Amino acid sequence: MLQRYWFGDVDEEGCRAAGTDPAALADRATAIRTGMDSFVPIDWEVARGCGVVRTREEYVDLLRAVCTTLARKKIALSYQGRDVELLQMVRMLDELDNVINLLQERAAEWYQVTNPSFSRKYRSLPAKKMLGIIRKGARGGLSDAAEEIERLAGTRSRLMREVSARADEVLPNVSALIGGLVAARLLSRAGGLPALARMPGSTIQVLGSERALFSHLRGGTPPPKHGIIFQHRRVHNAPKSVRGRVARVLAAKLAIAARLDYYRGEAVPEFLRDAQARIDEAGVAA
Amino acid sequence: MIWLGNVLVSPGEGGVYGERTLDGYRVWDPYRSKLAALYTLGGGVELTPDMRVLYLGAANGTTVSHVADYVETVYAVEFAPRPMQDLLEVARRRKNIVPIMADAGRPEEYAPFMEPVDLVYQDVAQPNQVEIAERNLVFLKPGGHLILMLKTRSVDVRRDPAEVLAEARAGLERRLDVTDVRWLEPYHRDHAAIICSRR
Repeated sequence: MLQRYWFGDVDEEGCRAAGTDPAALADRATAIRTGMDSFVPIDWEVARGCGVVRTREEYVDLLRAVCTTLARKKIALSYQGRDVELLQMVRMLDELDNVINLLQERAAEWYQVTNPSFSRKYRSLPAKKMLGIIRKGARGGLSDAAEEIERLAGTRSRLMREVSARADEVLPNVSALIGGLVAARLLSRAGGLPALARMPGSTIQVLGSERALFSHLRGGTPPPKHGIIFQHRRVHNAPKSVRGRVARVLAAKLAIAARLDYYRGEAVPEFLRDAQARIDEAGVAA
Repeated sequence: MIWLGNVLVSPGEGGVYGERTLDGYRVWDPYRSKLAALYTLGGGVELTPDMRVLYLGAANGTTVSHVADYVETVYAVEFAPRPMQDLLEVARRRKNIVPIMADAGRPEEYAPFMEPVDLVYQDVAQPNQVEIAERNLVFLKPGGHLILMLKTRSVDVRRDPAEVLAEARAGLERRLDVTDVRWLEPYHRDHAAIICSRR
């Protein structure tokens, strides 16, 4: 029976070598389909008998070259999708949020030491205003830092718009239902569009609330009603009594939307119209 | 295995992942590597210079590099692109590592590249770890060994680790002789090593 290996085809009559060029061998290997029921792993001596290599060392070297070429191709392919960059963009955005908050806290602490009148009242001001006060009021390093934080905040807003725009393009249906930013966060937590498209609605519903979910599964605590999707207004504005229902219906529609995005890649108006109506309906208190 | 005092080491060129070296040997840290933990606890299968190994779940190639220091050839299978990049770098400097980017649960993807091996080492975070091991037995020579690092939390976080281990052991005994089972405490929590040999 014919068996196909990376260096050539082998059957009862002998062996046909497929050459010694790693790139050509790699291309050929991607086309090989192996049935595991009749498969037997090959001894390297067969490759020698075939005339592909002369020594064990040559065998391993050539095999390594073929496998490395294949791996590099697969890596390049997996990084190719538009969703892969979006993933990094949204993670950078969330990290920027973190950093800006930390720096701002620190700047306010510092400023308060030199200006006792800068009390609690000021700290509840919007960040932009507070940083402006610090930048003008302080001198030297603190003023510079405040300016730098303001600049970082500007970078963050620009990046946020970019994330939204890219999400509309990569996830047209999901974005239409919950907005680009939240859509991008779902994508980031799922780990990519293929992963998100394969998730059931119940998983999407609690993405981002893993702690609450696992403490529920381990026993005792009530289950989480929503994770990242809580950030969408239709969930957090819903009356408490129906919030769980809204989250569940929304998540179910998101699961369908993610599949449309992955397999079709364009907005589907009929689906969106029906889904929006269904979600609105869930939000009406009984 | 090579011991300096009670420190496990491997021979080979250092500087793979920032590991310490001792008298020209690379220190193999049981807290980082589950295989090192197994040897430190007195278990495991002696690695010899003529061995061919199939390593499933190669990740960044840290443990792979130590195994490669001991044996003849390592077939290192990893699925995720990010760690694969690191693994390729490790394989570039160790001529006896064959890096394979494929899903360990789908051996047909890499079967055309395989030869029979003396040892299958598996360390994958999947719920169906035993099933994956069974599918890869076709590459194992009769009399060869399987070391399965059972991540009980990956099988089911809700269940008692001891129960998960008992079930995995029973599953493996269908086709293999289980020669040793041990927990990797205190080095790794809720991880167990199951060592089997093929009839």
